[in-house]
Amino acid sequence: MDVDSASQRFLGLSGRRWRLGAIPGPLAQMLLVAVGYYAAARIGFAFTLQPHPISTLWPPNALLLAALLLAPARAWWWLLAAALPAHLLIELQSGVPTTMVLGWYVSNSSEALIGAALVRAFVPGPLRLDSLRNAGVFLLCAGLAAPLLSSFVDAGLVRLIGWGERGYWDLVSARFPSNVLAELTVGPLILAWAAVGASGLRRISFTRHAETAVMLLALLATCLMVFDLPRTSTRIAPALFCAPLPFLLWAAVRLGPAGVTTATALMTVATIWGAVNGLGPFTGSTPQDTAHEMQLFLIAASVPMLLLAVALDERSRAEREAHEQRLQLTHLARVAMLGELSGGIAHELNQPLTAILSNAQAAQHFIANKTGTPEVLSEILQDIVASDLRAGEVIRRLHTLFRRGETQFRPVDLNALVGEVLDIARGDLVTRSIEVRRHLGAEIPAVSGDRVELQQVLLNLVVNASEAMSAGTPPGRRILTVCTETQAGLVKVSVIDSGPGFTAEQHERMFEAFYTTKAQGLGLGLSISRAIMRVHDGHLWGDANPGAGASFHITLSAA
Amino acid sequence: MSYVAVVDDEEQVRTALTRLLLASGLDAESYACGEDFLGGITKRVPDCVLLDLHMPGMTGLDVLHELRRSRRALPAVVITAHNEPEAREECLAAGAVAYLCKPLDDRVLLNTISASLRRASGGHANPGER
Repeated sequence: MDVDSASQRFLGLSGRRWRLGAIPGPLAQMLLVAVGYYAAARIGFAFTLQPHPISTLWPPNALLLAALLLAPARAWWWLLAAALPAHLLIELQSGVPTTMVLGWYVSNSSEALIGAALVRAFVPGPLRLDSLRNAGVFLLCAGLAAPLLSSFVDAGLVRLIGWGERGYWDLVSARFPSNVLAELTVGPLILAWAAVGASGLRRISFTRHAETAVMLLALLATCLMVFDLPRTSTRIAPALFCAPLPFLLWAAVRLGPAGVTTATALMTVATIWGAVNGLGPFTGSTPQDTAHEMQLFLIAASVPMLLLAVALDERSRAEREAHEQRLQLTHLARVAMLGELSGGIAHELNQPLTAILSNAQAAQHFIANKTGTPEVLSEILQDIVASDLRAGEVIRRLHTLFRRGETQFRPVDLNALVGEVLDIARGDLVTRSIEVRRHLGAEIPAVSGDRVELQQVLLNLVVNASEAMSAGTPPGRRILTVCTETQAGLVKVSVIDSGPGFTAEQHERMFEAFYTTKAQGLGLGLSISRAIMRVHDGHLWGDANPGAGASFHITLSAA
Repeated sequence: MSYVAVVDDEEQVRTALTRLLLASGLDAESYACGEDFLGGITKRVPDCVLLDLHMPGMTGLDVLHELRRSRRALPAVVITAHNEPEAREECLAAGAVAYLCKPLDDRVLLNTISASLRRASGGHANPGER
């Protein structure tokens, strides 16, 4: 049994997997919590405005809460236990009585437990700050309710044990904002980076890393100038508070929750460090007032930025998902259309295969009869090669159409595209006895588009026309005309059939999804074709011909 | 020497089939469409015709109907790259002696032609070739 599986069993985690991103195994998580708690407490002590006894920012509780939110509920007790040695180690150094140290461990743990339990009640499973709802639940439960409720517990324990002279409400009012600030800066920071994980970090491009570094350096420089220089004038202080805002907005808009939480944490550290060292605008009043002013400023700055980043991230993800679904649907419709064309495709492949087989067997007969001259055999071999290449071309085109890929815009020659589409559909057109007429304009400029998706649109129009004619037009009068022309900077392709045309209701509804007049059609072809044309900034429409039949047209801008 | 006409719009296919028939000791000539074939038989009547079903313009079925209309007792073997049961029934009903799917194995093709020629000359056809 390896160490990781042993620790999984130790914590009872052998069933459902709770790993989020690159979160290490349970024993390693306990170690991380202990070390993190100790380091966070050191930071908390360093951020205490002497002689004010309560830190401006107390991060250990927030760290513990974030760890619980990333773990299954049954592992919470072990993670809380892991924090105890770190808590004792750091608190006992400060000369506080053991009962009070243990009391603070209880109140700190209660904050983490209350926050985690409340969040878990609304968001089952590990919390990801990937939606406004999740972020809202986190802010209300972990950022507000947990510090408030645990502050009552904490003040009660302090008074019960009799440590210090401060009153109950005084203790509550000092501890609450300190812990709110920590929950709103440290908690989201840990959750956001846990969601990114080590593998996600490796996937981030060099450009994005560079952009992050530039943003953080610019923010740091701004914060140092605003919050870490000797105080000069109180008049300009309010204006200076807005100086980091552009960088926070930059992080929120461009770098997502991980970026904005990092930026907020950096600004928090720079602000408190300045005040602790008697620098920046947050000086000149009592330590308690200074702490409150800073806390309010930092909370007011971090919450909207976090919500903005999460909202933008959520919208961007929704757009990516919609794009992915469009690609999937487009691909499915293409495959379904190729399924409809399978008979014609078999026809197109059987032709060169027939030529290859008959040529090869002819050669065998010539050799057996001793009548085959080298010239004749050479000619046969050349024909076999040509037929083989033709079969390979049919397969290559099919492979391209079957393959699913991202939309790639490249210059496309629409005359050539028409030829390719008619080649793919040739078997189907021949077996349906449809005469094809091409009126391809000379010097048609290239358009910018995805070759496969544009092939899909044209193939769909050709297949529709072909099916309409074979259902309602006698052989001999089935004529498919494909034209290309240039009109006012637009390239237009028209697919005109001599079929029965369509009714006014069909004209009205033919681009609706799932509307079909075919017995076995999905009713997706035209709606997906129109969606493809929209992505290409083009248009697709259909008209009934004055005499008989229908015409469908696409227009695209010249590249 | 028996003379077989090959009617197929696919140049590669009709060249290969014609070549195969010639290599097998038959006389053969190819036509790119039904209209050309029907014009050609006024000059020289083949003993058998290999007739592609799906051709632009006049289809193989149209040629069979035309042969029947002109009362020509010409054994026609229909060949197709797109097999459809209904088309097979239609072709046989229109007078085709056999319906073969591409790609064509030489033994099957030559046996079918031989049987058609025997039947046309009053011999017995092999029932397994239909």
